[in-house]
Amino acid sequence: MIQFSYFMYLFLQFKINHYQLYNFKFDWIPGLKDSFHIAVDTMSLLPLLLVSLITVIVVLAASLIYEKRDSAYFGLIFLTIAGLNGFFMAQNPITFYLFFELTLIPVYFLVLKWGGPKRKKAVFTFFIYTVFGSFLLLAAIFYIYSFVGINLMTSWSFLYNNHFPVQHQYWMAIVFFIAFGIKAPVFPFHTWQVNLYEQADKPSVILIAALLSKMGVFGFLRFNFITQDVIPKLSFYLIVICVVGVVYGAVVAWRQTNLSRLLAYASMSHMSLLVAGTLTVYEEAYKGAIFQILAHGIAIAGLFFVADVFQRKTGSDNLDANSGMARVQPRFATYYFILVLAAIGLPLTSGFIGEFIMITNVTKFNKIAGAFAGLTIIYGAVYMLQCYQRSMFGKRHDERYQNFQLSLQEDYIFIVLTVLVIALGFFPSKWIDLTAYAIGQFGEYFKY
Amino acid sequence: MLTIIILTVAAVLILFLGFARQRGLILPVAMLALVASLVAMHYPEWTETSILTGMLHFDLTSFVLCILQFVFALCIIPFLHQFRQRGNEELGDITGLFLLALIGGMIMVSYQNFIMMFLGIEILSISMYVLAGADRRRITSNEAAIKYFIMGSFASAILLFGIGAIYASTGSLSFGNVLPGMDKFYQIGVLFVLSGLAFKIALVPFHFWAPDVYEGTPTIFTAIMSSIVKIAGFGALLQYLKLSSATLPEWVFWFLLLIALVTIVVGNIMAYNQTSVKRILAYSGIVQAGFILIAVLKITPQTEKILIYYLIAYGAASLITFLITHFVERQSGSDHLDSFGGLLKANPLLGILMIIALISLGGGPLTAGFMAKFLVLREAVGLGFLSLAFVALVAAVISVYYYFKIINAIASPSGDHSWSVSWRYNSVLLVLTLILILFGIAPSLVMMHI
Repeated sequence: MIQFSYFMYLFLQFKINHYQLYNFKFDWIPGLKDSFHIAVDTMSLLPLLLVSLITVIVVLAASLIYEKRDSAYFGLIFLTIAGLNGFFMAQNPITFYLFFELTLIPVYFLVLKWGGPKRKKAVFTFFIYTVFGSFLLLAAIFYIYSFVGINLMTSWSFLYNNHFPVQHQYWMAIVFFIAFGIKAPVFPFHTWQVNLYEQADKPSVILIAALLSKMGVFGFLRFNFITQDVIPKLSFYLIVICVVGVVYGAVVAWRQTNLSRLLAYASMSHMSLLVAGTLTVYEEAYKGAIFQILAHGIAIAGLFFVADVFQRKTGSDNLDANSGMARVQPRFATYYFILVLAAIGLPLTSGFIGEFIMITNVTKFNKIAGAFAGLTIIYGAVYMLQCYQRSMFGKRHDERYQNFQLSLQEDYIFIVLTVLVIALGFFPSKWIDLTAYAIGQFGEYFKY
Repeated sequence: MLTIIILTVAAVLILFLGFARQRGLILPVAMLALVASLVAMHYPEWTETSILTGMLHFDLTSFVLCILQFVFALCIIPFLHQFRQRGNEELGDITGLFLLALIGGMIMVSYQNFIMMFLGIEILSISMYVLAGADRRRITSNEAAIKYFIMGSFASAILLFGIGAIYASTGSLSFGNVLPGMDKFYQIGVLFVLSGLAFKIALVPFHFWAPDVYEGTPTIFTAIMSSIVKIAGFGALLQYLKLSSATLPEWVFWFLLLIALVTIVVGNIMAYNQTSVKRILAYSGIVQAGFILIAVLKITPQTEKILIYYLIAYGAASLITFLITHFVERQSGSDHLDSFGGLLKANPLLGILMIIALISLGGGPLTAGFMAKFLVLREAVGLGFLSLAFVALVAAVISVYYYFKIINAIASPSGDHSWSVSWRYNSVLLVLTLILILFGIAPSLVMMHI
């Protein structure tokens, strides 16, 4: 089954990379023309690449834990992946919403069936939060349709050119912020995240952290232009909220003793920065955001895979449980270190480019907010290095990890991820060009 | 006409089979009669035809609603003999009454004057009163029957009073040639008729019977109440609103709007804290009825399609849930949430089908429930009631909570029993689930043919 699904994935990727403007329309809803419309446009190309990549990693990581008879697990994983593919390809709001909801259900069951001891509460919180957000989104979409005419199924560019009444745009912008902010998650809506990341099994966490959280950012990229008249007025407040999230996540991450929880807060910090960047509605920030979606997805997937390896091989991903490992497992330590560096945003790793662009743009928008956001690199260095130090150096617990060896699959995953981290760090220009091409078509909507 | 004759003859035949103690023959005969009447409906005379001197008239909508009732009845009949934990002595009476109830349902969706309306409702209701009390030895079943009977006959009396009032002010029992008499008596009549109909479909504030009756009735008949009776009730409401649309006072629109709002909100609140699955599903049925009511606020050919679509989506999903509840109740003796624990492990297929049905009821994407809710809300927005759509949306979010309470119970690992079911059961449930998913993925393909 695994072999087969892996083959299917390759086939899928082939299709994505070669039909660059793969286009599919379908009169889905009666009376609405072209109501189901997915296409690979330039904006969704990099996220789709990430989806394809993470699929392989999740399937490989899961196949280490689950036997072939757990076919339901892989079925749910692939349902999620299908939803994600559709989400990034969606060409009108209703298709977008359909897939936004669709990814939620398989993830719910993934965590409910295969999660840790306190999974029920964690996943239910997640579910309620996300359903609340997505129904708000649906309300906004209904409003859009009531405004542009109920039977006019619209494309994105049509909506961008359609200026809604300003006072309505205000609440639409807030609704979008809540809906996508929950998904990302941004500061006030993050409480579902930590427990879920801790309780869910690690392959699904890779899926959630690397892909599902990116859905929030991508939503901002798609929907910001609809409220383009008020975003410049509101964005100061929204960015302040995001920056609070950046600092808060970093500070809390510093005090964590469990790798999964630490990564959850770190991820929240980075995602808040990313959202803050997109809310500036600068062209540069958009380019950086798309790039950062890819870069952060790769880094966080690798780090959660590290947590997965810890949990599987030594039984715990608490930071202190495995200290002193670097001596015994140098190869693993190297992979881990490269991924940590990427998360910090060290120059010449993939993390640097994206974060740098984000921070410059937030600074351009507001110097003080930018200064606080800039702290994220320092904080990031503090908590990630401290985490690395505590988990790999220090007092040795040889009996815990003496016998473990990285299997071929694990090596493969780590090599792919670390090579990508370094490659994206060294040669970002090609990728940025690709995003520039994606953003170029929306040039007219950018205010600055 | 042929269909009604077939059903009546079959019902009488089955009653006699019951007397003659030929219980093995009853269900096959009933299935055969239903299939025969479905075939009889396809005679060309059936679409756009009037029978009984014009007192029944079948247009496309009532035709589809009839077929819908028959198909759902076909899904239920194979399990009728399991209506009680042990023994099925009254199977002949039960099946015969069920077929008679179907005749009532047919009349309810196609009547042309008040007499036939009342007749249809009574044929359906009286059969249902008996079915509710079918499990004579269980006190709850008796309670359900008595409650249903007393409150139902009260509602019938109100309906009849309304009809009388309308007759008094217009001098006619048919809708076509009603004079536009807008005097107070006529308006009271309309109000009472609407209230009587609202009782049959369990809309707030006429819903009090529903949870108790649903809980006490043998589950297989609860499935009938939640699917066929709802379809017939909405068919009757649609028929009434359609036929007398020219003479209805203006407040009827606001009255129905208010009822829809209150139904959606109150049903949700009441469902929140229930622990019996049948009660949760009863309240969920109330909430769904509120949603369906939005579709008939303003009647156009488009909204009739939406109504049919919603009834298919809701009927199929609630049939699945009640049939599985019926199964679980037979196995564990209770319909409490806890007795659903471990269903996914004990019988993965049933667990998955139940989850799909519940997701559909909650409006999850790619199932018929999502599209049904979407179409109804679009209709509300199209009418200019953004706020109504918003309240309905919030209600839909809240409703997800109690559906997922059941799903959580199903997926919980408690219990290590293993339950197996017959292939008949599985195939019926699979067909219904297929309907849900097919209608969810490609609604336009399906709606084209309605």
